[in-house]
Amino acid sequence: MSQLEITGLRKHYGSFEALKGIDLSVPEGEFCVFVGPSGCGKSTLLRTIAGLEESSHGTIAIDGEVVNDLRPRDRNIAMVFQNYALYPYLSVFENIAFGLRARRVADAEVNRRVGEAAEMLGITPLLDRQPRQLSGGQRQRVAIGRAVVRDARLFLFDEPLSNLDAQLRDGMRAEIKRLHGEIGKTTIYVTHDQIEAMTLADRIVLLREGRIEQEGAPLDMFERPRTRFVAGFLGSPQMNFLPVEAGADGLVLADGQRLPRPLNASGATGSLVLGVRPEHFSRAGEPVAGEGRLDILVDLVQPTGTRTYAQFRVGAQEVTAELPAHSVEAPGARLALAVDMARVSLFDADGIALR
Amino acid sequence: MNANADPLAVGGGAPPKRARRRSPDRAFRYYMIAPAVFVILLIGLFPVIYTALKSVQNVNMFDMDTSYQGFIHYKALMSDTRFWLALAHTLIFVVVALPAELALGLAMAYLFVDRMPGRPVFVTLLVLPVLVSPIVAGATWRLMLDNRYGPINQILGWIAGEEVTLLWLVDPNLVYPAIIIAEIWQWTPFMFLLLWAALSNVDQSQVEAAELDGASWWRTFRLVVLPAIWPVVAIAVLIRALDLFRLFDVIWALTKGGPGTMTETISIYAYVLGFQQFETSYTAAMAFVIIVLLAVTVTIVLRRIEIDR
Repeated sequence: MSQLEITGLRKHYGSFEALKGIDLSVPEGEFCVFVGPSGCGKSTLLRTIAGLEESSHGTIAIDGEVVNDLRPRDRNIAMVFQNYALYPYLSVFENIAFGLRARRVADAEVNRRVGEAAEMLGITPLLDRQPRQLSGGQRQRVAIGRAVVRDARLFLFDEPLSNLDAQLRDGMRAEIKRLHGEIGKTTIYVTHDQIEAMTLADRIVLLREGRIEQEGAPLDMFERPRTRFVAGFLGSPQMNFLPVEAGADGLVLADGQRLPRPLNASGATGSLVLGVRPEHFSRAGEPVAGEGRLDILVDLVQPTGTRTYAQFRVGAQEVTAELPAHSVEAPGARLALAVDMARVSLFDADGIALR
Repeated sequence: MNANADPLAVGGGAPPKRARRRSPDRAFRYYMIAPAVFVILLIGLFPVIYTALKSVQNVNMFDMDTSYQGFIHYKALMSDTRFWLALAHTLIFVVVALPAELALGLAMAYLFVDRMPGRPVFVTLLVLPVLVSPIVAGATWRLMLDNRYGPINQILGWIAGEEVTLLWLVDPNLVYPAIIIAEIWQWTPFMFLLLWAALSNVDQSQVEAAELDGASWWRTFRLVVLPAIWPVVAIAVLIRALDLFRLFDVIWALTKGGPGTMTETISIYAYVLGFQQFETSYTAAMAFVIIVLLAVTVTIVLRRIEIDR
C-alpha cells in the first residue's frame, strides 16, 4: 500500500508555476529523497505535503486519506527544518516535548518518550539546556528528536544538513540513515546535494523546473539516466558531455578522434552528445580493436589523495578523467586513455538518452 | 574612572603596563562624549533639579519668596483631593486606553504581517493619525463629536433611524468614552507599527514548526511568538504608558478637564495650577512627585525587561 500518494499536483505563485503536475507515490517505510538544483520546486513540494503551502490543483493523500484541506497540525506530519527552527525560549526538553504537550499527552508519558528520543540521539545530557547553548550538530539532533518523539505518519526533512560543516554533515548523514533504519517511518528528504541523495535514498526523485525529471533507485538512476540533465546532476565530478557526429561505424569527436559506437545505444546517427563519467576513463594499454581510445594532452592535474583528476580538452570541451593516484603527475603529459564504452551514455539533441 | 566600566577589562589583575598604555585612549573616549553628556544633563537633569528647588520654596503669583520653606507643599499635596482625583483620572486613561491600543495594534499587526496587494497603501493610511499633532487631533475630534453638527452623531442617527443628540463632551457618561476613543484612534497605529515590525521578525519556520507540532494558535502565540516580540511589546507599552500618564492635548482640546474637573488629569491640573493660577512652588512639588513616581516605575520595568532577556 502506498503511504503517500500525490496526483496531478500543481502550485502557482501568481503567474509563476512552481509545480507543474507532480505524480508520485511513496510506499510505506521508504526513504525518498527529492533532489534538484535550487528553484526546481523540491522545497515547495515538501511544504505542500506538510500543508504549509496550499496546492493549486491535484491531491495529496496520506494512508489513503486526502489531506489537501487539512491544516498542517491535523496532518500528523513531523518536519525537520533547514534552520532547525527550535523554540529559542524553551529548554531542549520542552522543545522535544512541544508536540506531545500540544496533544495533551500525560506528563509521565511525555517524560518517557522524550527520554527515549534523547537516548536514541545521544542528547540526554543536554535536556536542560537552552537551544542557544547548543552547537549546530546538537541543535540538529534536537530538531530530529522533536520529530521522532511524535508518532507522526510522515517524516519530512528540509535540507537538514546544509547548515552544518562538512565533517559534521557526513556524521549526521550516516546517523539519519541509521535512524530511518531503526524507526522505519516513511521519510521524505529534500536536498540539493547529490551525494546526500545517493547515499540516503531508497528512491531518488529528481526535480527540474517543477516537474519530475526522473525517479528511481539511486544506482539505477546513476547508471541509466533518462536525460542528460539527470546524468549531469548525479555524480561528482560531473559526467563529461562530448559533442559527437555519429555514423554507422562509430563516433567522431570534435577534434577528429574516433570512438566505436557504444554497445547499448540504438542506431541513431547525426549530431549527438556522448556522456562519459570521469571514472570510466582509464590508462590505456596496448591498442585493442574495437576499444574506445583517446590520445590526450593533460592540461590540469588535481590530486585528491585517493584518486587524481586529470583535465584535458577535446576540441573546445574541457573533460575530466578520474585516474588512480600517481597515474599522472604534471600537466603537459601525453596519455592514451581507454573509454569504457559499455558504460557511456548517448544523448540526442534534446538531451534524451538513447537506449 | 572605574575600571569596571570598561567592557574590555579582563578580571581585576590586568598587567599595569597594558592599563597604562590604554588609559589615554580611554580618557579620549570620555572627552569625546563629554559635550553630549553635558547637553543631556543640561536639558534633562537641570529642570528636575530646578523643579525640586522651587518645590521647597514658596513662589506664587503674589509672592516671590525663594527662602527655604521645607516640605509644606508636599504636605498640602497629600491632602489635596483634587490632586488624588486627577491621579485617579489619569490612571483610568492608562488602564483603559493602553490595553485597548495594545490589543488593537496587535490585531492589526497580525492582519498585515502577510503580504497582500495594496499593503503599503493601507499601512500608510493607517499610520496617518500618528502624524497629526495631538492638539489638532483633539480639535478634529471636537468637531467630529459636536452634538449638533458632528458627523459622529449624524452617523449614529442614520443607524438608529432617528436624530441623535448625544452630548459627547458634556455628558458625564460620555466624556470618558469620547476622550478614550480619540486617544485610541490616534495612538493605536503607533502600537501597530512597532508590533508589526516585531512580528515580521519572528522566525516563520518556528511558527510553522509549532503548527506542524500540533500547537493551537494560542499556544503558538504564547510560547513562540510572544517571547520573540516581548522586548518590543514591553518597550511599546512603556512608551505609551508614559504618554498616557502625561495625557494633556486631546483632553485640553476636547473638554479642558471638564465637565467640572471630571476629566482632569495630572497634566491638566498641573497646567491649570501652574500657568493659570501661578501656584509655582505647589505645582513644582506636584511635578516632582510625578517625576519620582514615573522614574521609579520606568526603572523597575526596564530592569524586568532586562532580566527577561
